[in-house]
Amino acid sequence: MVRELAEAGVFGVAVPEDQGGLGMGLAAGGVIAEEVGRVIAPEPVVSTIGLSLGLLRRLCPDHPKMAQLIGGEISLAVAWQERGPDGAPADATCRYADGKLTGGKAWVVGAIGSHGFLVVAEQDDGPVLVLAEADAQGLVIDKQTQADGSSLGELSFSGTPAAELASSGAVLTALAEAVADATALAAAELVGLSERAFEITLDYIKTREQFDKPIGSFQVIQHRAVDLNVMCEVAQAGVREALAQMDSETDPKVRAPIASRAKARAVTAAKKITRDAIQLHGAVGYTDEFDIGLYLNRALVLSAWLGDDAYHRRIWFEAREAEGAAQ
Amino acid sequence: MTDWSAMTDAEFRKEVRQFFEAEYPEELRHLPHRPKFAEIEHWHRKLHAKGWVAPAWPAEFGGMGLNAAKLLIFYEEQQRWGVNRGRDMGVQMVGPLIIKFGTQEQKDYWLPRILSCEDIWCQGYSEPGAGSDLANLRTRAEIDGDDFVINGQKIWTTMAHDATHIFMLVRTDPDAPKKQQGISFLLAPMDQPGVEVRTITTLSGETEFCEVFFDNARTPRENLVGELNKGWTMAKALLSFERIFIGSPSLAQNALGQLESFARGRGAFDDPVFRDRFAQAALDVEDHAALYARFADQLKRGETLGADVSMLKIWVTECFQRITELMIEAAGPDGGSIGPLQVGNVSVDVLASFYKARPTTIYGGSNEIQRNILSKAVLGLPG
Repeated sequence: MVRELAEAGVFGVAVPEDQGGLGMGLAAGGVIAEEVGRVIAPEPVVSTIGLSLGLLRRLCPDHPKMAQLIGGEISLAVAWQERGPDGAPADATCRYADGKLTGGKAWVVGAIGSHGFLVVAEQDDGPVLVLAEADAQGLVIDKQTQADGSSLGELSFSGTPAAELASSGAVLTALAEAVADATALAAAELVGLSERAFEITLDYIKTREQFDKPIGSFQVIQHRAVDLNVMCEVAQAGVREALAQMDSETDPKVRAPIASRAKARAVTAAKKITRDAIQLHGAVGYTDEFDIGLYLNRALVLSAWLGDDAYHRRIWFEAREAEGAAQ
Repeated sequence: MTDWSAMTDAEFRKEVRQFFEAEYPEELRHLPHRPKFAEIEHWHRKLHAKGWVAPAWPAEFGGMGLNAAKLLIFYEEQQRWGVNRGRDMGVQMVGPLIIKFGTQEQKDYWLPRILSCEDIWCQGYSEPGAGSDLANLRTRAEIDGDDFVINGQKIWTTMAHDATHIFMLVRTDPDAPKKQQGISFLLAPMDQPGVEVRTITTLSGETEFCEVFFDNARTPRENLVGELNKGWTMAKALLSFERIFIGSPSLAQNALGQLESFARGRGAFDDPVFRDRFAQAALDVEDHAALYARFADQLKRGETLGADVSMLKIWVTECFQRITELMIEAAGPDGGSIGPLQVGNVSVDVLASFYKARPTTIYGGSNEIQRNILSKAVLGLPG
């Protein structure tokens, strides 16, 4: 499936044309992400478009891995977050010296089956982006199984050889940009997921009969369905507008809160819609016989990844305050 | 006469904005109540002299003849600057109906008087037993010689105590097989012995709503607009543009601005719980505006809006209410106080905003009715 997606140009959608991509921007990427969301595809489409290619195209657009990623020949997982002693996200301490990595990385999407890792680490004179092969020496990958059956990787490096791709402050800037892109695309994926979950539920309440009538003829069900539909439409309009704004905006300080706005909206909508979808299905919604539960599970994973709605509202508000203070 | 269609949308917006900013009386901006005509008469005269009283009417009847895109811009600018709509029932409701269904005599007689506000109109639709179920209306009009004789009662008649005429839906055929049939659209003068107006005091202490009683009131037969017993479909045909207008983001946007300056002055942003609730409300407004823009673009492309436009009204009115509730929260112990609260150099009437937000989910088709409409017309749910 990854090859088919690659042939359709999916992975290179937001990569400029002179770098071998389609140059269609995030808005087009969002349309693809919505489709991925609708079919709850487990493929790392958004993480490849947003994170892996987002980093490479900004830091080393001439690297041969770029073309391979766009062509779907390989996948590279991005390892940038770290887990602190209390289990929560913590500052980066993973070290890179003498061509070797030491330390750990957490919450790595697409780690299982990846051909290698783009690792953001620290070296003596600042941040660095390095590439570690999947089978490199001293690399241990622990699997954290997710609600939707996918896995997040917990990586530990002990003197693991890795090749430097880029260094200096530009790495963190590019990382922040790539994370913003992936955040907004994950929002679009959630929008597609929400729409499909709603359609499935709507079909169900039209056909499921109780008291000799379709349950969708009861007003209490109808009004709940309408509210979910409205929520879906608001989310789609808000997220699409946000992606388009990100395309026309270059200042990272402005783009980041736009991505937060998108993710906050999409998570709020997806949580409500997938949970209400279970309720409207009744008992069968709680079984694995029906697809609707898969949407709930996928929504849980996509919501937690890169920050949920409460987190992004906080980020959005803080950015707004900072902007207000600057004026 | 200006050919507005020759102007780009941006040029038009600039022109409208400049006129409002230069000419609209400062003391009338963002009026918290519905004014009587005398209060805004000086503004109406300016607007009339400019030929801008009826932006939606075709130019041949004295309107601006704006297309949907420019009309939307006109209203957006009006709301942005807090320009009062004035006593616009005549312009918004009666005029378009007469233009579409009236006789030449009716057009010649009524339309100029609507524009000049020589006649000031109120809308007689709702009745005590006909609110959401409007077709249940019982006010009768019977032909007697050259007149209709009207008996019954209207309610929620906005500003009837400051109107010279009423346009109304009346039952003219009580034996019609369906209650939507047998309803006619009638114009009647208010100043006559058979018409009695009583104001209704609202929760906020305002008296903009009225009851109107008809006891053998009379109106000439030529004041029937359109065909006898066809009033229901005519009145419904008018509502399409209204439905995006009633869902516009401006009420919630203005309230959000008020909330922010008030909450900031009060130090409410020190509370992380309040910060999150504010962020929720602000994003609710922003994302609604994105959806509104989608419908507005549809209009601008010349497409007809579907029933799904009702979702704008549901979202924005409920959002507006949450924002005004947050204002009360931010007011703390002043949350029950009538009148403006001073915060730094801003003065905010917290309860006035709260009260203003309450009826928005009731009027213009209650939000429950809107949900019924969406459920059937958009989602295709049965029964």
